[in-house]
Amino acid sequence: MTADVDQFPELDKTKFEQRGTEFKLKIPVTNAVSIGNSIAVGFGDGTVRIFFSGQSSEPIKAHDGVVLCMSTDGDNILTGGDDGRFLKISLKGEITEITNFGSRWVDHVTAHNGNLVCSSGKVVYYWDKNKKVPKSLDHDSTIGGLAFDAKGRRLAVARYGGVTVWKKDYSNKWKSTKLDWKGSHNKVSFSPDGQYLVTSMQENQIHCWRLKDKIDFAMSGYGSKIKSFGFVGDSKYLATSGAIDAICWPFDGDGPMGRSPICLPYLANKLVTYVEPFPNENAIFSGLNEGSVFLSQIENTNNTIIIRSFTGSEVSAIAVTEDRSHVLIGDMGGNILWTSIWDEEKK
Amino acid sequence: MENSNQVPVTVLTGFLGAGKTTLLNRILTEQHGKKYAVIVNEFGEQGIDNDLVVDADEEVFEMNNGCICCTVRGDLIRILSGLMKRADKLDAIIVETTGLADPAPVAQTFFVDQDVAERTKLDAIVTVADAVHLSSQIVDHHEAEEQIAFGDVILLNKIDLVKESDLEQVKNRIRKINPFAKIINTTKCGVPLDEILNLDAFSLKRVLEVEPDFLESDHDHEHDDDVTSVSFVSDTPLDMEKFQTWFGKLLQTKGQDILRTKGILDFKDESDRYVFQGVHMLMDASPMGKWPEGKERSSRLVFIGRNLESMNLKEGFENCKSA
Repeated sequence: MTADVDQFPELDKTKFEQRGTEFKLKIPVTNAVSIGNSIAVGFGDGTVRIFFSGQSSEPIKAHDGVVLCMSTDGDNILTGGDDGRFLKISLKGEITEITNFGSRWVDHVTAHNGNLVCSSGKVVYYWDKNKKVPKSLDHDSTIGGLAFDAKGRRLAVARYGGVTVWKKDYSNKWKSTKLDWKGSHNKVSFSPDGQYLVTSMQENQIHCWRLKDKIDFAMSGYGSKIKSFGFVGDSKYLATSGAIDAICWPFDGDGPMGRSPICLPYLANKLVTYVEPFPNENAIFSGLNEGSVFLSQIENTNNTIIIRSFTGSEVSAIAVTEDRSHVLIGDMGGNILWTSIWDEEKK
Repeated sequence: MENSNQVPVTVLTGFLGAGKTTLLNRILTEQHGKKYAVIVNEFGEQGIDNDLVVDADEEVFEMNNGCICCTVRGDLIRILSGLMKRADKLDAIIVETTGLADPAPVAQTFFVDQDVAERTKLDAIVTVADAVHLSSQIVDHHEAEEQIAFGDVILLNKIDLVKESDLEQVKNRIRKINPFAKIINTTKCGVPLDEILNLDAFSLKRVLEVEPDFLESDHDHEHDDDVTSVSFVSDTPLDMEKFQTWFGKLLQTKGQDILRTKGILDFKDESDRYVFQGVHMLMDASPMGKWPEGKERSSRLVFIGRNLESMNLKEGFENCKSA
């Protein structure tokens, strides 16, 4: 999505922009993950930069094309690219190649407790931390997303027609359960309390399974594809992008069935493209398709503050440092803001 | 949505051995200094000379939107979305399909996925056909027929290997299926690239230029499921409500058999001309400005598909004329 910059008046800088550091790198930001109090950012030219304390590292030449996906494993960053490589990168910038699929892209990566996982096409590869050779988990269709549950016992794989949940049985054999729902499922996540599994679909919907009884239901009404979602707190809300408002579904008590979401409104006709829960708060950062980012309390719709103003480019990444002191915002135009979240006096 | 930042996508289709890879390599070697991404299927012929070649699965899935024929290429959504994150801007993307591929899901992908539609645009479907074997391929394989039906341009290749009378026969066969495609005779796919690239064939503006190559139709086809085409013209303005009701229902119920539609419509009491084009049940439609001064207003409507004679199209269209 592009916007004509000249149509917009020169905006005053927000206090967060004034006290933060801005980087205008002109390279699309594809991913950002926090790793301790550093934030690693992946770019559309295959580089990774590590931001710490308002400073950026030199670009690390990780992939030839695009950094398609990112995750973390302890103190390491994991990346997958359209050059077919799955990499582990240390905070110092040392690169270890885990595998190379050549012209087949590494679409998704994740990890839990030293066990590394990536997907390429229809196959998930699982590296047990004690083994050199990965286990292949085959699927009938291309994989849209991967997620471990909080304890790392179950691995959910989103695909066409539903989700396959993999689990190792007592004899250490992989067993799968299929949760079927017609259509193409992309991003997938367990709720932090492990009770629900949610996916975002090609069809502008969220699909949800309650795992104890496998009841499933859809959350619809979105005007566009839901590219980003996240659980807030310990599964109290599911915050979602894909509409003009940030849509927050209640997941406490008996869950969202038959209940209305809380809608957090921002700018008329500007779509929320990215949501990032603020850890330990019932609050979210919402990024819009024209670059602005807001911080909102979910249960108090009057309490929204602007973090970053218009840039003209879709917000594509938001990450908060582990100590919750700083946030990094990135967009498809390569504009990055690193800023402290709390006002000095509150610190 | 149309904007200048969209990267044009050319789809190369054609039956096995027709010469798609020859054409592809021709494009890549002749367009110096341009940055192309080429999306090929994994079982395709090898030897493509380009920096950026992406393997695709040709994975087709059905949208869960109640539209039974709304199939899209899931792998294309994934790959095009990934390519649009690149730091370097691509001049164009070329998608080579397998010889047995149905072009409809490829075209429908550009209608259905918002991100794909915002950042890329389907420029044209270019079908490479083997002048020697096309006639028999059409009889034996419905895919070959569909590839002709969907082509905006048809490169009739290997013409040096057929007699002139046979060539005319093949061309007549193509025109019967698709009277709107531009047919270009070639040997070894030798064609000026501006005749196959940057055609903007799927833009609504181009529909205004559609002048079908009308052919005396003799209706002597051998099979009931042959792909044919029909077109209608009316100087009497149409009633918008009646048209929408008829056309909407037609696509809902017969969309599987209707491969492509195009039209320019003159509605009663409307000063704008309305233009539309569709693939199966999916449509792109818009008013396209006032009718040109001093030019006769008329409605033109074109269908390419199977079993068209069973759809009472003429009667349906006649009933839409305003009283």
